[in-house]
Order: sequence, then structure tokens, then C-alpha cells
Amino acid sequence: MVFGYLDAGSGSLILQAILGGLAGIAVAFKAWKARMMGKKAIAEAETEAISDETPVNTES
Amino acid sequence: MVSADPGSFRDPASHVVFDDDRVLRLLDDRGLEAWKHLESTPFFKQAVGSGRLITTTQVDDSPPDGTAAVLQHPRIPFVSYPYEWTFSMLKDAALLQLDLLADALASGITIKDATPFNIQYVEGRPVFIDIGSFEEYREGEPWIGYRQFTRQFLFPLMLRAWAGLPFQPWLRGDMEGPTASEMKRILSSGKRMKPSALMHVSLQAKMEERMSGAAVRGDLKDAGFSADLILANVRKLRSLIESLNWDHGVEGWSDYQSCDHVGRDRQAKGDFLRRALDRAKPKRVIDLGANDGFFSAIAAETGALAIAVDGYEPVLEELYGRSKGKSIAIVVSELTNPSPAQGWASQERSALMDRAKPDHVIAYGVIHHLIYTASIPPATVLDWLRSFDAPVALEFVSPDDEMVAKLTANKLEQELHPGRSETEFRVLLGQIFNIREEHTLEGDTRVLFDLVPS
Repeated sequence: MVFGYLDAGSGSLILQAILGGLAGIAVAFKAWKARMMGKKAIAEAETEAISDETPVNTES
Repeated sequence: MVSADPGSFRDPASHVVFDDDRVLRLLDDRGLEAWKHLESTPFFKQAVGSGRLITTTQVDDSPPDGTAAVLQHPRIPFVSYPYEWTFSMLKDAALLQLDLLADALASGITIKDATPFNIQYVEGRPVFIDIGSFEEYREGEPWIGYRQFTRQFLFPLMLRAWAGLPFQPWLRGDMEGPTASEMKRILSSGKRMKPSALMHVSLQAKMEERMSGAAVRGDLKDAGFSADLILANVRKLRSLIESLNWDHGVEGWSDYQSCDHVGRDRQAKGDFLRRALDRAKPKRVIDLGANDGFFSAIAAETGALAIAVDGYEPVLEELYGRSKGKSIAIVVSELTNPSPAQGWASQERSALMDRAKPDHVIAYGVIHHLIYTASIPPATVLDWLRSFDAPVALEFVSPDDEMVAKLTANKLEQELHPGRSETEFRVLLGQIFNIREEHTLEGDTRVLFDLVPS
């Protein structure tokens, strides 16, 4: 990968796919979807972790 | 003696040092790998051959500790900064940046940043000077410099073309340039609705706000991002930049041309300057208050580099159009507030006069503006001219001159500094300069002096 010393800006990076035209919009959508899926997976894992801890808190 | 360029430190792979008259670039292992790849491409030969990219050769100097190779570049005659450029200079630099990126990508190379500080003007043409910006393009990588391009090229040009504001004060105050959200606030609602503004300004502002800090490069690569998308973006950006224009009107310039004294005195002032330059044989001449560059052009014709400084951008914009192939450097800067040393440790970008280092000064048609408009005492103006430690071709304008009458129309006598009359001025001048030649212009209110420091 290109080693950047420059802060490229996350939003600007995704935007430039959109600016690449129709093919780019598809790429941006796919990347966005992957992010959402990733976030969902993380959120689910976190929820699971919290529910595992729940019994400890029921003592009070 | 080797000294580091205080403006070249951000990229760990490559930085510039000065070894007496030589300009050297030190590369680390990664920088060397990038250079080897760049050097082998047809893009490099074509870009250097056409004068768009600075000449670069690898030299045999043994690399200092921590570096892998040494490159050499020719010295740029005069380094100027984007906040000293005219609108068209920044526009041409933007087009060069985009064209080089498009051509480089065709050779499998990318440019990892996009700042006008990587571009310098040599004889009226932009030249890309940062060889360290080029790296092998790896499929799936986005254009890392896109946001920087918008902040340092596109938005400043939009400021002038779409909002009627000069970009130089902004870039001088904030060298990173306006952000997308700042541009959104500046542009009128009509301009904001233009499709290109919706994308580069409004949408970028929104996405930057929403996605701050997210690691997205891997996602883009996995989603199938390719160099074709960068090229499509670059093509559209090019058309957008091409469409940005500034109608400066040339009213200032034509007004100046039509002043009675201008046409009448030009011949005599030009002849006087030629004689002064012939005596001094300077290499670097600074033309203070250069206006349309008439006298800078005379200095350039003698083989010297002429640095034309003026605070009024329209006249320099005109001069830029006529400067191709001439040894004239253009600087938009008020003489009463020349570009300071600034940036990291106040050394990253040096002060205008530290870069100019002239061995001859032209101060035609300028000191009465300093004395009467900017209220700088005549003795202080002379001390400043003396500080260049070089011969000065000076035009003295007496209080009886018609232009001075205009400049002082709303000033009272007690609001003006002493030392303005020819008699007083000659006394002040005689304390720090010797007069080599003098000539009174027609009308008897203006005197030319060829001065040498005493």
C-alpha cells in the first residue's frame, strides 16, 4: 500500500470514489456497506459480551 | 557546508539539503525504491523533457547516515509561495498538478500529495519540484492527495472566481487552505447549488464530518477501487479548474497607463535605469512596486533576474501573461507588509526579503505611496532601502507633484512626517547613500537618483 504521510481524510477518500462516476458510486456503496456490516458485526459482538456479563449485575 | 532546507521535512522518505550552490535530495530506502521506479518510466523522461518536472540526476556523493541515495536538482532562481501568486499562476499550477497525476498514473505512478508548495515558477512557467512526491501506484489505492488538492488549489481558486475574494490572505494566514465546511459557509447559496460545489464542497464537508477518523482505505480496495476512478475524478476536476476564471478588469492598469506622467516619463526613466544597471551589472534586481513590470522587463533584458513585487494583483496578473520565457519572478505582496517567515518553527517558509536577496533595487514610483499613503516617515523609507545594501534606482516625488496632491487631499499638514521636501530629502539621503547620477524629470516634481550605499 502507498505509505501516506498526509492525512487524507476518511470522508474525502470515500468521496473520490463517488467522483469517479457511476462505477465509482458502486464502489463507494460497496465500501460503505462493508463498513456498515463491519459495524453491525462489532455491535453484535459487543451486545453479546454485555449480555454475557448481565448475570453478574443482577445481584443488586 | 550542508544545510537542511527548513521547508522540506514532512516526508520521511525524502528531504532537500543545500550543499553550497548545489541542491541535493536525500532519500531513505523507500525513497530510493520510489526514485528507481520513477526514473525507469517513460512518464519521467517526458515530464522532465517538457519542462514540467524538475531535472533530477542521481549523484555519486556518499549518502549520509540514515539515507540511501543522493539526488541533485538545479537551483530555482527565486522561490515563491502560493500566497504570493496571482490567480492564473495558482490555476496553471493546479492544471500542472492534475496533468502530472494523470500522466503518472498511466505509467503506474501516483503523486502522494497535492500542494502548490511543490510547484515553483521558472521564467513564467510552473515546474513541479518535489520528486519525492512520486510513488509506485498500487491497485486499489485511492488518491491520497485529493482533499489537499481541494484545500490548496480548488477552494482558493473558487474563493476568487465564485466569491470575489482574494485567496492570498487566506493562504498566507492558513497555509493548509480553507476546509470544505469553511467553503460551504463562504459560497452563496446559488454557487453552493452548482453540481461541482455540491460534490467537492457540500458533500465533502458532510462526509468529513460523518467519517472522521474511520479507516477506509482497506474497504475501498476490497470494494474494487481502481486508478480509472482517480482518472475520471481528475478529468472532471480539470474541466472545473479550467472553468474558474477571474475577471479582474484592468481598470487599475489602464488608469495607471493613462496618468499624464507615466507615458511622458517612461522613456527617460527606462534610459536612466539602463545606465544604472550597466554600471552595477546586477544579477538579482528587485522591482519594488513593479506595477505592469515595464522596468522589471528592462532589468531582465540585461540578463538579471527581476523580482517584480506589487500589492495590486490585477497588474501582476497582466504581467504573468507576458512573462513566459522571461527572467521575471512575480510576487503579489504589499511592501508595507511583505510575506513573513512562518510555518513550523517560523522557518518553514521564509520571509520575502530573505528570499529576494537583491543586488540591485528599483524604487520607481513607489516611495510617495509609502510616505503619503502608508504614513511611513521618509527617513524610515530610506533606511529600509539602505538595508538591501545594494545600489538603488530611486524616483523621488516632491510634495508639489500632482499625484502627491491626490494622495494628501484629505490629510492635514501636521499629519504628515518631516523630510518630504526635496531639500530635506536630499539631506537624509546624503547620510546613507552616495549619488552616482541624478536626473530631474519633465515637470520638475520628480527626480531620479542612482544611489550606492555609502
